[in-house]
Amino acid sequence: MSSVNKENVKESKDKKALGRISIFPVCVLACYGILCAIEPHKSLIAMRTSGNLLLYIAPPLVLVFVIMLALNLFVKPAQIVALFGKGLRIKGIVFSMVAGIISMGPIYVWYPLLKNLREEGAGNGPIAIFLYSRAVKPFLLPVMIAYFGWIYVVILTLLTVFASIAIGCFMSVFMKGK
Amino acid sequence: MKIAISSEGTDLSAQVGHRFGGSPYLIIVDLGTGNFEAVPNPGSLNQHGAGVQTIVLIISKGVKVALTGYCSPVARKHLEANGIAIFTGVSGTIEEVLVSYKKGKIQKTQAATIDHEPEKHLVDKARLIHAMKRSGNQFVSMLPIFLGIVLLIGLLNTFVSKNFLTALLSGNVVLDTFLGAFFGSILAGNAINSYVIAGELLHYGISLFAVTALIITWVTVGLVQLPVEIAALGRRFALLRNGICFMLSMPIAIITVFIVNLVTR
Repeated sequence: MSSVNKENVKESKDKKALGRISIFPVCVLACYGILCAIEPHKSLIAMRTSGNLLLYIAPPLVLVFVIMLALNLFVKPAQIVALFGKGLRIKGIVFSMVAGIISMGPIYVWYPLLKNLREEGAGNGPIAIFLYSRAVKPFLLPVMIAYFGWIYVVILTLLTVFASIAIGCFMSVFMKGK
Repeated sequence: MKIAISSEGTDLSAQVGHRFGGSPYLIIVDLGTGNFEAVPNPGSLNQHGAGVQTIVLIISKGVKVALTGYCSPVARKHLEANGIAIFTGVSGTIEEVLVSYKKGKIQKTQAATIDHEPEKHLVDKARLIHAMKRSGNQFVSMLPIFLGIVLLIGLLNTFVSKNFLTALLSGNVVLDTFLGAFFGSILAGNAINSYVIAGELLHYGISLFAVTALIITWVTVGLVQLPVEIAALGRRFALLRNGICFMLSMPIAIITVFIVNLVTR
């Protein structure tokens, strides 16, 4: 496939993806339109509530972008994912956990890579740890702290990390020989 | 030391592949032992993320040098960033190229075609621009759903009474946690949406047990993505992993809230 064709395919895929994710906000806006005709005063209050909520989340969102940028700038997920262990040794656990925590983007993007890694010999335990550790999102921590406070976030993050190891152990045991 | 050569075939008599990412095979040669293996090049499949898979593949094989006809600037950048030297403009059979490389001929004649880091600050600037573009795309792609949820919360706050929402949950810790975990499992999307929804539900008086279970399962359990996970990692793995994650989410939610209550009391 020529590079021009690839560009066109990518552009059309991007447009389709944008179309898909725009359905939900467009539906909500349509609800606003209908409700505005029935209850204009209440709809205005709803708009104002959403605006206030957006203002409340805006500062953490700026931080979200900064952390995303730092991760994209300094972290090379391909290199870390390549260090996935075959078994559940400390190195395998740590690297798959770190890879899960720093991985960004939707999970389905990562499935082909994980499939390839497993064909290369990566164990079920490290893959399960990677998938579970994705629940820890360093770049979204500012938003989470704004809502729930840092004590809650620290406790939940620590428990998530421990749980990811437990899931890795379970999967290694239950998938033994598979 | 291992070297990877893009190839049109699976043996040493095959021609060197013109494009690093698009050649059907990669011949990986261990110069120490002389052993080689031909591996299908995932990059040739033209699937999303296939180029990354080629890079991950050769990193996982411990390759230090890659030889090919042509390599795109993006792939070159990723390879070099991962410590792999790339030599382009190579042609002939794999065997001929190997002999030339061992004699140091390729190194002498082709090294000039390697894009050396011209100026330290120039490379940093290019990397920064790439990172900014990537972060911008990731950020923009999560905005439509996020804004939709913010608008929806405004509607719910104004048009739906708090009593209605709290009546949906019984106040029973186990049942509320189960319901939170259940809704988190069937909903999908960026985790930021789960935080916003959970935070607002908390304002409505929904228990912290339920919203914590929702936050956990939102990312760790994916009923919507289950078919894709089954296709990639197998039915047994996907069902078992999602099942265990769902079951574990409830004790984790309960323990989290108990510890938070203990610490903040």
